[in-house]
Amino acid sequence: MGDAIVGIVANPLSGRDIRRLVTQASVFPTAEKANMIQRMLTALDAVGVHRVLLGTDLGGISAAVLRALERHRAPGRAGQVRWPEVEFLDGQPIRQTAQDTVDAVRRMVTAGARVIVCLGGDGTARVAAGAVGEVPLLALSTGTNNVFPAVREATTAGLAAGLVATGAVPAREVTARAKLLEARVGGRAETALVDVAVCTERHVASRAVWDPATLTQLFCAFAEPDAIGLSAVLGQLSPVSRDDPYGVTARLDGDGPHQVLAAIGPGLVLPVGVRDIEPMRPGPAYQVDARAGVLAVDGERELTFEPGERPAVRLRADGPWCVDVPAVLAASARLGLLRRDPRRPASPPSRDLQEPTA
Amino acid sequence: MTDTMQRRTLTRDQLLGAYRMMRAIREFEERVHAEFATGEIPGFVHLYAGEEASAVGVCSNLDERDTIASTHRGHGHCIAKGVDVGEMMAEIYGRKTGSCRGKGGSMHIADMSKGMLGANGIVGGGPPLICGTALAAKIKATGGVGVAFFGDGGSNQGTTLESMNLACVWNLPAIFVAENNGYAESTASTWSVASDNIADRAAGFGMPGVIVDGFDFFAVHEAASEAIARARGGGGPTLIEMKFTRYFGHFEGDQQTYRGDEVARARAELDCLKRFADRVVQTGELARSDLDAVDAEVAVLIDKAVDDAKAAPLPGGADLLTDVYVRY
Amino acid sequence: MARTITYREALSEALTQEMERDESVIVMGEDNAGGEGAPGEHDAWGGVLGVTKGLYHRFPGRVLDTPISESAFIGAAIGAATAGMRPVAELMFVDFMGVCFDQIYNQAAKFRYMFGGKAVTPVVIRTMYGAGLRAAAQHSQCLYPLFTHIPGLKVVLPATPYDAKGLMIQAIRDNDPVLFFEHKALYDLSGPVPEESYALPFGEASVVREGGDVTIVTMGRMVHTSLEAAGQLAAGGVQCEVIDLRTTSPLDEDTILESVEGTGRLVVVDESHPRCSMATDIAALVARRAFGALRAPIEMVTAPHTPVPFSGTLEDLYIPDAQRVANAVKTVAEYER
Repeated sequence: MGDAIVGIVANPLSGRDIRRLVTQASVFPTAEKANMIQRMLTALDAVGVHRVLLGTDLGGISAAVLRALERHRAPGRAGQVRWPEVEFLDGQPIRQTAQDTVDAVRRMVTAGARVIVCLGGDGTARVAAGAVGEVPLLALSTGTNNVFPAVREATTAGLAAGLVATGAVPAREVTARAKLLEARVGGRAETALVDVAVCTERHVASRAVWDPATLTQLFCAFAEPDAIGLSAVLGQLSPVSRDDPYGVTARLDGDGPHQVLAAIGPGLVLPVGVRDIEPMRPGPAYQVDARAGVLAVDGERELTFEPGERPAVRLRADGPWCVDVPAVLAASARLGLLRRDPRRPASPPSRDLQEPTA
Repeated sequence: MTDTMQRRTLTRDQLLGAYRMMRAIREFEERVHAEFATGEIPGFVHLYAGEEASAVGVCSNLDERDTIASTHRGHGHCIAKGVDVGEMMAEIYGRKTGSCRGKGGSMHIADMSKGMLGANGIVGGGPPLICGTALAAKIKATGGVGVAFFGDGGSNQGTTLESMNLACVWNLPAIFVAENNGYAESTASTWSVASDNIADRAAGFGMPGVIVDGFDFFAVHEAASEAIARARGGGGPTLIEMKFTRYFGHFEGDQQTYRGDEVARARAELDCLKRFADRVVQTGELARSDLDAVDAEVAVLIDKAVDDAKAAPLPGGADLLTDVYVRY
Repeated sequence: MARTITYREALSEALTQEMERDESVIVMGEDNAGGEGAPGEHDAWGGVLGVTKGLYHRFPGRVLDTPISESAFIGAAIGAATAGMRPVAELMFVDFMGVCFDQIYNQAAKFRYMFGGKAVTPVVIRTMYGAGLRAAAQHSQCLYPLFTHIPGLKVVLPATPYDAKGLMIQAIRDNDPVLFFEHKALYDLSGPVPEESYALPFGEASVVREGGDVTIVTMGRMVHTSLEAAGQLAAGGVQCEVIDLRTTSPLDEDTILESVEGTGRLVVVDESHPRCSMATDIAALVARRAFGALRAPIEMVTAPHTPVPFSGTLEDLYIPDAQRVANAVKTVAEYER
């Protein structure tokens, strides 16, 4: 095994959209995102990852990490925590759009990263997921209104990412393939990790969806009862877990036979009418009923469609491989991977896992 | 229909009106750019071309109860708030028929009767004034709001920061619109704004801060409509940061050697008028012929404004001493 | 019916009567009520020296405390004035003008002119000025000449309780921006003040003492200093005419010139610094317009060209006193070509 490489990409623009205004969405400071990355660097080095690739941005995150690195390398700091060698992926134009995330992730994959960590919301995870290929993804949430990324402390996430990247914990045992929704309008397609909603708005505009009255149909790859966001509508009526091999879809109608209070957004608990709930099988295309409007992927309007275009949504089973952080660290406990005292015997290994290395 | 749907649904007339307004600003500025180069326009002009979606996206949500304050780059806000284009052009030429009778010039065009508190020659001069008009609206319970437009340069000025604090402390119906076009004169905003995003400062004052693509009329319109509705309903101030670029220099005559190639890319790929037109034609909300008709109308309007301005009389000696006071 | 009240009470009465008469009059400033957000008493101060006390409870919602952000709230007062209110904002010490001067001299002062006569800005900015309380350099300046210099502003300095009430009422009713200067050492001064409401016009000086020998032109607290000197001089046979300008912008040139035409001798007493002051302004006016009438060079009695010192002995030397005024009068009175 060569040097284990981990890629980290963070979205500087997440958490500044209209949801700050129309819901009680949190404000996640840039400084905290940079701080999370630094916590991960410490954890990664501690478990043997010595090379990290970092995306660059104009929003101050990579600049803050660079400043921290320079302070870290200053003479006289011997004996402080060790950090991996960090390589900033610059040299390509920064467009301040989702394309920056795609480009960064692709470069990390090409460079041999064994795990990609992304910091952001559902939108960031969605975009990163589209570019990771078979490389495991660890999505960390920065803020509210996120269903897909985990709200998890960056240090333990870093330990997990490092243990998988070095192979100390075999990836196949602690990663699971996420489901994926594919929304298609003619030749244009977008993928979603959680939900696709059909919106009667004509324009993408400020992207976020927060008014259920504008929605006519909902497709969910999974719908957890404790979710926040559009999938909460079905999460209370017809829950589907991330592990179930199917999804769920329904029509939204204020006069529908099912009426539910849903946590549509932070501080936003609204009554939603639902009809025609049915499971979504992976594979077949489900037609979109509306004549014209916008398809919202993971809560953000993205794909406009006009009369005659006939959009469709499919559930796919080939989403990104996602790192299960608790499973990694549980395996690490069983294998004694973080133990450092050679004189005490390791706890007996589980019959399912290998002997610990010396 | 919910409130949000109502606010967001733009009728054919509203869409046409928005296009006409943006086109009028664009043609006005392009024409001033051309005429300034001949040397006939006195003083300084600071052109708004490229930023039309911001002024029109915000002001299309306002009515006669509402006030706006602008910057030295004020022509766009003036037109968007309904100031007469002919009078504006005459003012820029320093004529007696101008909005300010030739006594203000490009940087001081105002029309109090339309709630336009003026373009302002002082960076950061506007926000405190808007705290005042918003206060008046609150005390008189008109439901009106005040919108303070300022740039990335103005976002660093003490007056702007004080005004944001005051507006939050007094819970005023005020909207702060930071038009971040990337440069304060020749200095990049990524350098001069320490927090990188102006919107990030809002949290420090306890109000929501939202970033909007300033080239996208629909995104601006939606964000502004929510902020204005919140203010009208007593929910307090909001900070909206537009991210875009200006097509011309800081002032006419600026060689702009500090810039990269962002203008060419913006004109080609991001232009607010092109995107608006393409979008409404695609949805069928408007026809290309509707838009062409507006373009032709606006061309005539601007031509007339320039011709009239050039032919108008200059103010004379008697005008020098008038209107210092209401009564001295 | 007049009765004796203090300068402070006269100002308070003016504000109260105008706020009763016109609901568009609002008051704002730092601690104009006091106690905002604090667990104790509301209207705890009523202004740092008590001028606005009582208004908060009497006119709910119309007395606004502000954070310490002069450029924001002075600007807000100006903006509100353009939107149909009649705000009376307080710039606590005129020494603080530096942080909000733009809003006053570039915005309020220029709206009417710059906008071709289409703006009306009826704002009053009350401010404390003057030395004598050992408040030191940054809390004791005069600075009214700086505002007098600006076209578009009006500048008012009442010297007596009677003038304070009448000029404040006029200031509130006036449709132009007014800077209203209150000398901090005059708040406890008592004098006769009518109970009813009355407005004194701007640009009309008051001849507070008639005399044919020497004209003293003065303003604000120096009116009392000049009267004290005039009393001493009268004992020595020199009769002074003391003119209280009341407003420096507009300036009552006629009263000044008429008096000098009669006496031929002028002393200007101005608590400001000597350069570019009211003293130099009036001296130039008289030198130009009444040159022929002058029988002696003009004398100016001002503070020195220094910041205001702290220590009492120094501050007392800084402030022009009756003795210095009397000396100046004697100089011009005794002057022979």
